[in-house]
Amino acid sequence: MKNAIALLGQPNSGKSTVYNALTGSRQHVGNWPGKTVEKNDGFYTYNGTRYTVTDLPGSYGLSGNSDEEIITADFIKADQADLVCILVDASQLERSMYMVAEFAQLNKPAVLLLNMMDVAKAQKKEIDHKLLQKRLGIPVLPFTAAESKGYDELKALLAKELVSPHKLASVPEIPAGGDVQAESEAKYRWIRSALAGVTHSEQKHFELSKRDKRLLSPIRGKFACFGTILVGFLAAMIICFPLMGIGSMIPQILNKPIADLLNGWNVHPWLVSIFSIILPNTLYFCIAMSGFVFGVNLVFGYLEEIGFLARAAYQFDGLLSGLGLQGKAICPILMGFGCTIGGTCGTRVMDNWGQRMLTMAVVWAVPCASIWTIIPVVSSMFFKPWQTMLVILGILLYVVLLMTIVSKVFGRTLVPGSSRSGMIMELPPYHKPHWKHILKEAFLKAWDIFKRALRTVTLISLLFWAFSYSGTGNVADSLLYKVGTAIEPVTRIFGLGWRTFMGFLSSAFAKEAVLGVLNAVFVGEGTVLDATFRSAFNVATDNAVLGQAMSNVVSKAEALAFMCACTFNIPCVMALSTTYRESHSLKWTARIAAFYVCGALILACIVYHIAALFL
Amino acid sequence: MRLTEMKPDQNGLIQRIGGDAHFLKRITAIGVTEGTEFQTVRNDKKMPMLIYMRETLIAINRADAERIEVETI
Repeated sequence: MKNAIALLGQPNSGKSTVYNALTGSRQHVGNWPGKTVEKNDGFYTYNGTRYTVTDLPGSYGLSGNSDEEIITADFIKADQADLVCILVDASQLERSMYMVAEFAQLNKPAVLLLNMMDVAKAQKKEIDHKLLQKRLGIPVLPFTAAESKGYDELKALLAKELVSPHKLASVPEIPAGGDVQAESEAKYRWIRSALAGVTHSEQKHFELSKRDKRLLSPIRGKFACFGTILVGFLAAMIICFPLMGIGSMIPQILNKPIADLLNGWNVHPWLVSIFSIILPNTLYFCIAMSGFVFGVNLVFGYLEEIGFLARAAYQFDGLLSGLGLQGKAICPILMGFGCTIGGTCGTRVMDNWGQRMLTMAVVWAVPCASIWTIIPVVSSMFFKPWQTMLVILGILLYVVLLMTIVSKVFGRTLVPGSSRSGMIMELPPYHKPHWKHILKEAFLKAWDIFKRALRTVTLISLLFWAFSYSGTGNVADSLLYKVGTAIEPVTRIFGLGWRTFMGFLSSAFAKEAVLGVLNAVFVGEGTVLDATFRSAFNVATDNAVLGQAMSNVVSKAEALAFMCACTFNIPCVMALSTTYRESHSLKWTARIAAFYVCGALILACIVYHIAALFL
Repeated sequence: MRLTEMKPDQNGLIQRIGGDAHFLKRITAIGVTEGTEFQTVRNDKKMPMLIYMRETLIAINRADAERIEVETI
């Protein structure tokens, strides 16, 4: 007995809520063999027995509309689950029972969860679940996934059914001939007869709520969406600032004691700098990063749960159709203005892998919050305030152009014409947020980023450290300098001297590091290494001194080229690693990364040569 | 007439749904099938169609909604 349970349900059925509540942090994320679709496995123990839970991917049915649905159907057919737990939305029973009708063909043991009973009750819908259970021949459990009290009953039911399972008593009679419409009509007929007398549903006149009237109107609604999301970002910042504050104390507290301790043991200065500078700063860096991911996810988790994001998707579907995407992509794209990592994770709402990957590629084009801490500073060293405004405007316009280019370049392969699917989605009724659940989800995501960031950032830091280490403390003695000056004739084509090229490279590591690196290579204060980690976060860079030093060596055209190259480079290593993790495709992650590096350099080249004619 | 030609707050019946099998599977899975009664909720230029059927508010991409033939009741 392997006690394998699989969860099946339509979007908005609360499937992932049940999955997370059952398994908590005992989850494993992997790949379905040979596919880029994510496989979510977890387990829980109940009365001393271990049960595994698989969160089945998919959409509204099982008829093979996408890779996800094929995988799900095959998984059930191959008896990889001993019991399938199907979730339906009790407030829209007839429509969401479609999944049960699709599942019926497979003739496997199942239980049915009538989820969202709280919503159904609020709408004064009565459901005779005992009658439904009698008709279907499988256990039917009324449930509210976001409340923790029902889970003991659920676990008891699952345990019982694994021992003595039930199968559906009847199956929709599917007409031969393969006519899609006739088939689905037969399924809805079956649903109607199963629900006769169970619940009363009639087509009543539907009236939008006051809030929806505002939010769904074409022009006012778009402003309302932008306003809400702006407030959301502010809230995310307020939430994560205390976390970042605590994190920023770590290097200050740890640096000196560790250095003193190691120096006392006569350890080689190499090791001292690793343990006293790199590791504490990496720790801080990871805390800051996951703090931000926590804030962004908390806010967007809230917006999703109350039903706001579905409305935003409706608002922006027309606009995004032009990019080969659909309305749902608006959420990750907007999250990208805060943090690319958050935006990349946010692509999970997309229907299929191709659209998801394309959305990630587009999200990379969105300048994250950190970029706005660099561009105004660098620009003001060379240009008057009104010119700086022009630079920022130019960058924003190029963002739109770049999103179009990305969708043209990758769209054809990732979302070919035949699989282009417009948005077909339900706008769920507004729900009250279940804070405990939202907090837990946001925390799990932040914790996950923290663990991965610790690995990735440490590795990259060590590499960077090795390249920039110089025994004398002078930049000119480092490997970085030697390589940088050797390839300078090439980088000059792009309008980048070896110093600004270092800045460009560091912008692929983390945007936060750019100013610090510039300070190190131009002013010569501190090593590049120190600067990468420290100046960016803790020690304020003296921008006046840096500006003086930079404008002595760098022309205005070069400065423009540099800003373009930095802004449109790879967002940061963690965005890169998150994209790989979320897409499960090394090939596509590498392709998109290469596209962005080349694109940034080509843009810099064009901007440099044109600007050089005028400035 | 086409779904996109309807005015808001009209009731109608789905007559015919055109398009390939992929589209048909998607649209019927969410509950839009021939012969089903529905009510239009919003129909704005360059925006998805918003209809109410089977107790659900459903948004359908405008280009897709063009392929749905309806009659008013």
